[in-house]
Amino acid sequence: MRKFMVAAIPVATLIIFVLVMISGNFLKKPLSGDDDVPGSIEKAIRSVNNGNWEEAGTAAEQLQRAWDKVVSRVQFSSERDEINALSMNLARLQGAIIAKDKSDALMELKEAYEHWEELGN
Amino acid sequence: MTEALVVFVRAIISFFSLLIFTRMLGKEQISQLTFFDYVNGITIGSIAASVTTDLSSKARPHWVGLLTWVALSYMMEIITMKSRYAAKLLEGEPAVLIMNGKIMENVMRKMKLRAADVMGLLRNRGVFDLNQVDFAILEPNGQLSVLKKPEHLPVTPKDMNIPVQPSGISTELIYDGIIFEENLRQLGKDRKWLMEQLIMHGIGAAEEVFYAALNPGGSLYIDKYDDHIKKVTDIGDFKGPF
Repeated sequence: MRKFMVAAIPVATLIIFVLVMISGNFLKKPLSGDDDVPGSIEKAIRSVNNGNWEEAGTAAEQLQRAWDKVVSRVQFSSERDEINALSMNLARLQGAIIAKDKSDALMELKEAYEHWEELGN
Repeated sequence: MTEALVVFVRAIISFFSLLIFTRMLGKEQISQLTFFDYVNGITIGSIAASVTTDLSSKARPHWVGLLTWVALSYMMEIITMKSRYAAKLLEGEPAVLIMNGKIMENVMRKMKLRAADVMGLLRNRGVFDLNQVDFAILEPNGQLSVLKKPEHLPVTPKDMNIPVQPSGISTELIYDGIIFEENLRQLGKDRKWLMEQLIMHGIGAAEEVFYAALNPGGSLYIDKYDDHIKKVTDIGDFKGPF
């Protein structure tokens, strides 16, 4: 039993470490209703395309809230550069919505989506 | 998100990964390391540091790098253990620098050693006169093994036909005031015998003893907490903060 534990504890520890390091892909998926980042991005894209800036503003806020929730889960398994880049996209998106700049808002949303795809992969 | 928290978690991952991996690599320690082992160790340590603090990239690729280096090192250990040919190729072999008192210049050139280096290595082994050296062998870990000429070897009790007490490893009987019953049993002694010995040394209880050990020759070493040293020898050469 003792010999088994001597081997099992290090193996179990390494497995836990690997799980923590690969958890990003799983943990970035929406686990509750208000943390769906790709869903919020798509909603914001639709609003911006329709020129509905009020709805786009609400979608951007919802996106920000979803991102704040997800980031605390994926931070241990993701690149900080990727996280920072996505956060910057969301900040610039809010500026573009205030300025009602459609092309800028779409660029930020598409780039944010790209960073999202890379996150934890 | 706090960077410090991420670094904390990553530090736990890299610390225990490194601990587990190095335990897997075995007991080969600093004194037995070849130059490659030494460089290998530095690289593995450097990768572990990246796992902890390089937040610009994920921990996973660094960890895979760490795992790969450790796996390769382990593989090399297995290969050199199983194949003498591979061991010779990968770890090198001892080189005879001095043979029958004569310096092997070709070997020195091959090993990129100067005469001053060899003299330094000899001095490290306590040899200051080349005339005393019969053989000097440079081991793969960089240390020099020296065999002195017979006339310069120290006299042993056997040479003088002097009877000696059997030597061996001492057995701990008391540490920090606690008696090791198991060790007493193994030596065929009991607590009563130990207490008699302590009384003979002027000690009333085991709690007064910091360390006691019995050597195979039968002599008991006892160190009390109360050392009764009036004048403490200070080997410091500078009056520092302590």
